[in-house]
Order: sequence, then structure tokens, then C-alpha cells
Amino acid sequence: MDPRRAETGKNSDQIQSGHVYHLALDIGGSLAKLVYFTKNDEHIVGSEKKKSPMKASGISNSSRNSPVLNGRLNFKKFETSKINDCLEFINSMKLHLGGCQQPESPGSQTITIKATGGGAYKYADLFKEKFRISLDKEDEMDCLVAGANFLLETIHQEAFTYMGNQKQFVWIDKNDLYPYLLVNIGSGVGMIKVEGDGKFERVSGTSIGGGTFWGLGKLLTKCKSFDELLDLSYRGNNRAVDMLVGDIYGGMDYSKIGLSSTTIASSFGRAISENKERDDYKPEDIARSLLRMISNNIGQISYLTALRFGLKRIFFGGFFIRRHPFTMDTLSVAVNFWSKGEAKAMFLQHEGFLGAVGAFMSSDKHGLKELLANQKVERPPSKLSFSLDQTQVPQQDGELNGDESIECSVYGA
Amino acid sequence: MAGLSEKPQALGIDQESAEANKNSSSNKKSVHNRLLEKDKEEGGQGGDMSPSAGSSIKRSGSRPQLDVSKAEIQGNVEEKYPTILLPNQSDDLSHLALDIGGSLIKLVYFSRHEDQSTDDKRKRSVKERLGLSNGNRRSFPILGGRLHFVKFETRKINECLDFINSKQLHRGGAESPYADGATDGNAIIKATGGGAYKYTDLFKERLGVSLDKEDEMDCLVAGANFLLKAIRHEAFTHMEGQKEFVQIDPNDLFPYLLVNIGSGVSMIKVDGDGKFERVSGTNVGGGTYWGLGRLLTKCKSFDELLELSQKGDNRTIDMLVGDIYGGLDYSKIGLSASTIASSFGKTISEKKELEDYRPEDISLSLLRMISYNIGQISYLNALRFGLKRIFFGGFFIRGHAYTMDTISFAVQFWSKGEAQAMFLRHEGFLGALGAFMSYEKHGLDDLMVHQLVERFPMGAPYTGGKIHGPPLGDLNEKASDRNSKYLTPISIIVTLSNSDFPTQISWMEKFLRKGTEITAPVPMTPAAGTTGLGGFDVPLSRGSSLRSDASALNVGVLHLVPTLDVFPLLEDPKTYEPNTIDLADPSELEYWFTILSEHLPDLVDKAVASEGRTDDAKRRGDAFARAFSAHLARLMEEPAAYGKLGLANLLEMREECLREFQFVDAYRSIKQRENEASLAVLPDLLMEIDSMDEETRLLTLIEGVLAANIFDWGSRACVDLYHKGTIIEIYRMSRNKMQRPWRVDDFDLFKERMLGTGDKKKPPHKRALLFVDNSGADIVLGMLPLARELLRRGTEVVLVANSLPALNDVTAMELPDIVAEAAKHCDTLRRAAEAGGLLVDAMINSSRSSKGKSSSVPLMVVENGCGSPCIDLRQVSSELAAAAKDADLIILEGMGRALHTNLNARFKCDALKLAMVKNQRLAEKLLKGNIYDCICKYEPAS
Repeated sequence: MDPRRAETGKNSDQIQSGHVYHLALDIGGSLAKLVYFTKNDEHIVGSEKKKSPMKASGISNSSRNSPVLNGRLNFKKFETSKINDCLEFINSMKLHLGGCQQPESPGSQTITIKATGGGAYKYADLFKEKFRISLDKEDEMDCLVAGANFLLETIHQEAFTYMGNQKQFVWIDKNDLYPYLLVNIGSGVGMIKVEGDGKFERVSGTSIGGGTFWGLGKLLTKCKSFDELLDLSYRGNNRAVDMLVGDIYGGMDYSKIGLSSTTIASSFGRAISENKERDDYKPEDIARSLLRMISNNIGQISYLTALRFGLKRIFFGGFFIRRHPFTMDTLSVAVNFWSKGEAKAMFLQHEGFLGAVGAFMSSDKHGLKELLANQKVERPPSKLSFSLDQTQVPQQDGELNGDESIECSVYGA
Repeated sequence: MAGLSEKPQALGIDQESAEANKNSSSNKKSVHNRLLEKDKEEGGQGGDMSPSAGSSIKRSGSRPQLDVSKAEIQGNVEEKYPTILLPNQSDDLSHLALDIGGSLIKLVYFSRHEDQSTDDKRKRSVKERLGLSNGNRRSFPILGGRLHFVKFETRKINECLDFINSKQLHRGGAESPYADGATDGNAIIKATGGGAYKYTDLFKERLGVSLDKEDEMDCLVAGANFLLKAIRHEAFTHMEGQKEFVQIDPNDLFPYLLVNIGSGVSMIKVDGDGKFERVSGTNVGGGTYWGLGRLLTKCKSFDELLELSQKGDNRTIDMLVGDIYGGLDYSKIGLSASTIASSFGKTISEKKELEDYRPEDISLSLLRMISYNIGQISYLNALRFGLKRIFFGGFFIRGHAYTMDTISFAVQFWSKGEAQAMFLRHEGFLGALGAFMSYEKHGLDDLMVHQLVERFPMGAPYTGGKIHGPPLGDLNEKASDRNSKYLTPISIIVTLSNSDFPTQISWMEKFLRKGTEITAPVPMTPAAGTTGLGGFDVPLSRGSSLRSDASALNVGVLHLVPTLDVFPLLEDPKTYEPNTIDLADPSELEYWFTILSEHLPDLVDKAVASEGRTDDAKRRGDAFARAFSAHLARLMEEPAAYGKLGLANLLEMREECLREFQFVDAYRSIKQRENEASLAVLPDLLMEIDSMDEETRLLTLIEGVLAANIFDWGSRACVDLYHKGTIIEIYRMSRNKMQRPWRVDDFDLFKERMLGTGDKKKPPHKRALLFVDNSGADIVLGMLPLARELLRRGTEVVLVANSLPALNDVTAMELPDIVAEAAKHCDTLRRAAEAGGLLVDAMINSSRSSKGKSSSVPLMVVENGCGSPCIDLRQVSSELAAAAKDADLIILEGMGRALHTNLNARFKCDALKLAMVKNQRLAEKLLKGNIYDCICKYEPAS
């Protein structure tokens, strides 16, 4: 039994052709996500000075002497509107050439990297022109599902519920994972019924997603970034903006149909009746109301869609969530409310990177999945679970946070 | 826009209503008097006008005569609709119900009809004849009434209070003996919506009334059930700008999903009357649209925001699939490049500020986002509960084409075409109507489709002169200038300043005075400028329809006429469609509009002449012409504005419009003259006919009916013809020209039934219903001789004529006199008329006994229940329905009743349709023939 050797050989060939270090891209409407692999010893810090996601020293790798590369799977994101930053980053790290140990052969070759997301089409020319990078387009849904399946099957404590500030990891029996509903909240929202590896169908979706939150938020609050807006929402109170059941019923519940006085009857409904201008509302309150409106709506449509197809699990992923407690809480509350407690919203630790991971997996030249699956048996699972390198607290500097890495090993040189 | 916040206008209302109060209290005595004397209520809506307004306007607009003597028995508990008939019980007076929502207040109130002519002797005798004895619950004419629909913005609740106060609606209207403004504190008004709680104290304080809170959901559902069951074309679909009315079978209505889009959205599964469950909802609703819209655009009102959306292009705001995929479709999962991937998603990446975006685009994006979302969630819920129908109601929709299209599209898209979104014409009034229904004993529960007639008067509220106050249009103008098109049930806005507003002037006076300011039937929106006669000039957005449709649907006044019935001899009332010509075809529509427009000056002239060409009549004639033209233009722009439109509706609207401007009978003198001229030659004709053998006689009689049908003031061609000879000359010429075979010629079949072949004789018909058409030669020289023949053969004859005048059609009121005159020359007619009680009534006016109960087969007259040249047999008078019970032959005569309508109608008994086609286009279209072609269509009972 040594499939790894075969793999090694194969990968060795690819070292020559220069795509070993496995960079994959997911260029969405708002954010470009990168997944790349670095070897423990040799990964590059490069020009990245701030908060490098990588630790120079890896946890001791497999005791066995094998051609397995120990290293980290790194996650990084950029705003799509600053796609040039992303290009610079890729360029500076020479990731597409397989890292720094790989002798450069400037201008001589066109490098191919896996990419998904709409931007893989839109920016194909830009990548080609600037750095002679050819984007090998992978289907977005394929990648999303592959990414989610991979993460849910192999990474311990990938899925969790979040209610009332309580984060609770859910152990998923990978033999009882399917079918499930994957709700990917990016700029828009895609809802995918997943029945197995490569077996899925986009069954629903909504255009009211992260882009709506950010877009409307930007127009209403003059926030400079998504995270700033999220941060604001955390501090706000939607009662100032939303029309609650109590507002309509003079402070009373509408108990006959089970609506409490604090239920939101109409999001932003209060902005109607008062003679206030936009500037009279606190941006915090607006952000809060917006977040609740969108989360609640997504939660509702997701639940109804899951119900329709008889899916017992709903996983929420995508960049809207950002492990933002309030967002997760709202989604959970929505699912709980509409399902009358029968369904629970679940979230993924690597919510934003499903597509990128899927693209990364798509060639499966690295055998990562298999390796990780194998290793799971051999090593304590905790060692394989991701480790965060940095704080989750949103940054105010406009630079996107959430860069992180998973310690892992791949077959390689 | 400015009008919204103008204080002077708001003040104007206070002042105005104060005057109204003063007026009503000064009128207190006269109100009492009227009630006591019970004979002065024939005043129409102008009945309380100032003396200077001219007495001729005091005539009833709608019913020629008013007799309130029956008021005493209105309290009879055996009556079918007792509360409508109990004017003196204060509990029953408050036929006003409110739905006070977060954004809008909806009002439904009921006003009594001026009575139909109840003391008509002809009717009494008919009733006796037809066995409608006193034991029958229909023995007394049941008073109907009208349901009015009005809206106000909740933040301007004071205007609503003023309106109620000015009309004394909380006291049951000015007809109430308590209508003196005194606050006795006992009045109760049914109310629903959150505001019913919130504003309880305000109503108590201002009007001295208690709000009796009805549950919101109960009301919504009751209102929707009522509308869907009682109004024939209440529901419609709206796809890509096309409205299509859907006829719902009241027996196959449940279950359905009712989606009420107010500030928030409720989704209710309805399983039956009072059986429902709120299964879902969303907080992203109308309030969200308006609230976010206000914050983003600085619009001053919902409607302004909606108006803005019509000129928007959401591509600058929304992130489309194409934006993400570099202009490509994401075909693998069936998303086209133009699909919106993320609402407002485009505003993320750009360096623009809010001010850099067009408010129009923002509004459209917002509207689309919310509509689509509602459609999607609704469909998912319908699916979940296996509901095949989804009805959308509530004030968010407002007849707005883009909103409806978007919702429809969402439902269609997600259901893959299996589900359809449907909308309701009275969408905003579900709750208010339901609250109204919650009054006990209003009797509306059992109301059937055929008992409701919707009218679209210019001067609503149309309350028979019993309720004081400004016309609705004006008040709403004040209530919300820009919004008037949504808030008024009528389409003409008469601009009035306060100084033009003496309280005692009727709405019509104002209409007359300010009539010149009516420039378009569509309410004007100067700022936006997207409406107007020109039509649908709004840019299309990616092929989706985005027409200017802000005032798409008018909500008329619902006339409740409990005496209407479905004609029992219709083979299948469910599939019966009266109109032969479908005006959905634009060229057809245009043709008839042209015809009606061209005919208008002549009609106005006749109408004015009928009232002696007084100045008042001239002014009313002008006003009528303007109003009717406005109706026409409105319909030309939006054919579905008043519901499903057929030619019969159009012709009826003209008659209603005439009546609204108090032209009771424009052709009165013409009809009289022609009746006299025809009656003069009748003896000669009868002699001629009597000299013929049976077979020739029958043919001659049918020829005579067809020939005499040429006398029709509704036909331009015939009017021209009249200048060429006397009546008898034209009649003879016309008859002589009859050359068989006619264009449709079933005469031989009819003859066989009547005369038999060889020895095989069939028994004569038991009773024949003759639907007559015009006055003059048509009735006298055509139908009466035919009736006489039938009588001779032992068949009872019932002449069925209009209840109200329409063109030169003979009415049921006029017929007895004509028959009596004819009877002077003919024994058969005399005996039959005596037997039918006609002669007695006509000759001895004071006696109601019908002593002439001879053994002769009777000739009777019944009214058909309508006042139109056409007839919709789903809504006929109860006496016609009763008369039809024993009938086995129907003869429909004339273009209106046998061609425009009912040409394709099938009956349970033998039916003969006779008409001369007096319109070239119609002849070509229906019969591939020519003008003056004849139709003799005989269809034996199947």
C-alpha cells in the first residue's frame, strides 16, 4: 500500500512545470480568496510584513519518513475592487511559480493556476497580461461543494452552531453527511442541495446577500469597509429603525398569531413615519437593522428550501458571515424561528474559502484530501484541525482580516 | 410634492368641515322632515344643494323615481337584508369600517341607494301574476346600497377624521336623525389594523366614537373571501405588463395562500370562511421599501418613490451575473448575465457616494429586490402547503405594474411555471372590508356575484344627496396631492382651492366649474411626467415591462343590488360570457372608442334638448361630454382599468355617465314622438297581417321585427337614414327589401316549430320572453305584432324591457302605456293585457287591484334589471328571473341584446335571436356580411 509514492512521482513531474505549491483563487464579486500551500521550512514571508499568517516553524510533522510535504494551507483574501493588490501579492510571493525555492524563469512560461468565481472570467485577461498567468477556470458550484465536502468530511470541528453567543461544535459523521443544504452567502446567496461528492444541484438562491448588506450599508452609513459596517452593527439597536409588532399594536403582542411585540414587523418600517432624515439615525442602528433584515431573510428562505427538499442540515458559508457572532446568531434565530425549533443553522469555520479550497482540490494532484483522510486515522484529529494564526477581531484599517492557515501535509517534493 | 405639507390646505379642510357641520345642523330640521315625510328623498346627490344651484339638478341621477314609503317596512325581520333597511336603529347606522395600518388608513363605508321605484303598479301586478306573493321574501323590493372605498395616509390621520366627520359617517351618514353633530358617545365603529389600538383615544376624543377592534387576520381573510366570491373579475394575473382577469369559481376557491403586503408581509393559508392560519411572513415589505427609500432618496412619499422607480435602471445599482462573469451567462446553473446576483451589490466596489447614484435607480433596485423576495418566499410557502393559488394583496402593490410583474416573475421562475401569482383589484381594502363584514346582520355574507354592480362615477362619493361634504376627489386632493391617483377611486382630479369650496355645493357643481382643468383622465403627476394620454413611455429594463402604470386600476363604487339574479334559463351560467366582442383586441377597442367618440356630440345634443336646452342642461351636457371622454381615454390607455372590459360594459358606462350627470332620459321626446307615429299606423299593419295565411303571416311578422329594428338611434347609419322618410315609409321599404335567405337564416326551423310540418303539430309554447329593443316602430310595428301572434296561439307573452333608459330603448315603465294604446285597436292585445294586469294599471292609475283575471293568456311586462343597450344575463331583475321559470321560448331582439351580447349564449329552452346588423364592421367581423344584413338565429332547446 503506497499510493503516495505514485502520487509523489506524478507531482515531481509537476515541479518541473512549476505548479507545485498549489495556489488556487476564488474571485468573487466582492472578494478574491486565495488558498495556497507552503512548506513548513521554506514558506515565504516575502513582502508581507504585517501579520503574516504563517508560522515559521511547523508542528512536528509525521514521524514517518515520507515524501509528504508538511506545511500549511494558507487562506488569504482581498477585495475584488483591489484586485491589483491580490496580483501583487501573488507576484511577490512567486506563489504561482511554486515558491521561492523554485528558480524563476521569467517571461519564458505561461503559468496556469486554478481559479473559480466570476472574476476568474472577468480578470482572466488581466492575469494573463500582467503576469502571464493563465487562469484555469473551475466551475464555481463545483468548487464550493468540493470545498464544503472536503472541509466537512476531513476537518474536525469544522461545523458549529451558534446561538445566543454559544458556539458549539457539531460532530459530523461523514457517513451521514449527505444530503445537506449548502447556503453560500457571498455577494448574492446560492443554495445548493448536496447529495455527495460532485452530486449537487443549485436549488435556490437570493440576490439579497452580503453585497446587499455592504452596498446598502455603504450608501446609508458611509462606512469604508464591510468589516467596519459589521462592527457598527454590533453596537447598534435596530429598534430605532425597524417597525416592531409593538409599534403597530401600541406596545402589545399580537398574541393570536404568536408574534411578540418585539418581532420585527417591517424592516426599516420606522423610517417611514418619522420626520427624520438619514443623518438623524445612528449609523450603528441602520447597520444593525440591515444585518438583521438580510440574515433573517436568508435564514427564512434557507429553511423553506431545506424543508422543500427534505434536508435536515443547513450549512451556511460564504463571506457574509465572517464568523461574525451577531450575523450567525441572527441566521440561527431565523432558522429556529421559521422551523419552530426543528432545524438548526450550522456554520463552517472556513466559510469564506469554500470555493477556493474547492478549486485547490480540483486537480487533486496533491492528494490532499486522501492524505488528510488517511492521516486522520494516524494522528490525533486535533492536530489536523486548523489553527488560527491571528485574531478574529475585525480590523478597521480596511485590510481584510481572516487570513489563516491550516497545518497539514501534502504529497510533494 | 409641495401639496403634501401645505398647511393651508389642511386648514382648509378643518374650515370646510366646520362649515359642513354648521350646514348639517342647520339642515337638521329638513333632514327630519325628509325622514318623516318620506317623499322628498328623490333628490339625487344634489339634493342638498344650495338654492342657487338650480332645481333641475335635484333629480335623482340613477333611479328615475324614489319612493321611500317602504321605509316603514324596512325593519321587517323577514327581509333578507334587514340592517340595510333599518334607518332608525342607531346600532345599524354605522356602516363604516376602518383598517388603520402602519402607513395607510383604509375606509369602507356603505351608503343606501336611493330607492328603486318600488311603488310601480305594473310591478305589483307582475308580482301577483308571477306568484310573487307577500309570503315570498322578495315581495318587497329590497333596498340595495353602495360600498365606497377611500384611503388616507396614517400620518395624516386628522384628514381621515375630518372626512368621517364631514360626512357624518360615524353616525350613519347625514340621513340619520342624530346627524346633528351631537356626541352621544355611543357610536361604535368597527376597526382593524394596528392603528385601531393606537388611535382608540383619538377617535374617542375627536369623533366621540369607540373603535371596536376586529382581529386583523380575521378581517383580511373575510375581506378576501368576500371579494373573491362576490366580484366576478376581482382576481387577475399580471405578466410582462399584461393583465388577465381570472374568473374564480366560488365553489373551488379554497384553499389558497393570501399574501398581504403592508408594512410587513403576512402569508395566510385560507381554507374557508373563518378558517385560516398565518403560516409565514416576512419583515421585508412595503415599509422596508418606503423606509429604505426615504433614507436613500429623500422622497416624501411612498408614491413618489414608486413613481421614481419607473424611470430607473437597476443595472447601476445591482450586481448582475454578467458583472461577475465578465458579461457572460452562468449557463451551467441557468443564470443569465442579466440576472441580479446581488441587490445593491454594485455599490460596493465603486468609489461613489450615495449622491452619485440616481434616486430612480435606487428606487427601482429596491422595489425589485423586495417584490422578488416576497414572490419567492410566497411560492415556497404555497408549495409547502400544497396551495395552488397565491393571491397578493395589500398596499405595497397599488396596481403598480412593475411590482406585480416582479412578483409574478418570481413565482413563475421558482415554480417553473406551475404556480401563478394573482392580484386583487381591491387589494388594499381587504382588511377594511373584512372589518365591515364583521358588523352583525349586515347580510352581506350571502351576497352573490350577480348582486353586485361596480360603477365608476366621477363624483364619488355618491351617496344620494344624503351625506354632506366635499367630493372625494377634492378631499383626497387635499389629503395628499401627489398621491391622489392612488387614493382616489376615480381618475379625474378636480383641482380646487379652498375659496371654491362653499359647503352646500355639490360635487358636480365643482366639476362643472372646474371642469376645464381636467386635462387628462389619468391623474397628473407633474414632477414625474410619466403618465398622460400618450401612454406607456417608460424605458424598458432588459425586456421586462416597466410601463407607467401607477393608476392602473380604479376601484369603483360597489352597488349592492340584492334584487338581481342569474337568468335561470342560461344553459351554463359558469361559462356564459355576455360579450360577443372582446375588447382585448386593441384594434377593436380603438374602433369602438372612435364610434362612441363620434357619436358623443349628437348624444349630448339630444340630452340637452331632452331637458329643454336650459343653461343648466347645457353645462351638464358639457360636463358629461368631458367626463365620458375622460373615461374613454382612460380605458384607451388602460383597458383593464375598470376590470374586464367588454363592449357591453362600455355602452353601459355611457348610460351610467349620463345618469351621473342627471340626464335621466336623453331620448325621451324622440321616443315619445316615434311611439305616437308608429301607433298611428299600427291598425293598418295589423289589418294587413290578419289578411295573410298562417305561413306568410309568420314570415311577415319576423320580417317586420327585422325591418323595424332599423329604427335605432344607437346606429349612426340609421340616424342618417331617418332624414329620408317617415317611419312607415322606412318600415315598409325596409321590410320589402328583406330578401331571404338572410345572413343567418333559421326561419324554416323556427316555422317548423311554430306551425309544424304536415299533420305533425307541436303544442304552442307555454310562455315566451320577448327581450325588446327600441321604442317606436321597433316595439310597436315589430315586436307587438309578433307578441300578438304568440298570444293568439295560446302562448303567454312576457315583454322584457330595460329598467332604466338607454338610448331610445323602450323601458319597462313606458311599455304599459304603449300596450294600452295598441290595445285600443286590437282585442287580442286588450284581453291579454287585461289578463296581465297591464291595462288596468295603465288606464286606471290609482287602482292596484287587477280585477281582469280573465281566462285569456296574459301579456305581461317585466323589467330586466339593467339600464344598458346590452344585457348581461348573469345579472337580471328578480322578476325577470321569476318570469323565466315557466318560459320555454326566448326571443332576443336587436343588436345590443342579440349581437353585441348573447349571440353565442346557449339556453335551456328554445331561443330565437333577431337583429338587423347596422354596423358595417360588425357585419364583416361576425357574419362576413354587410350592413343591414339580418340575423334570424333559432336554437331549439338542447
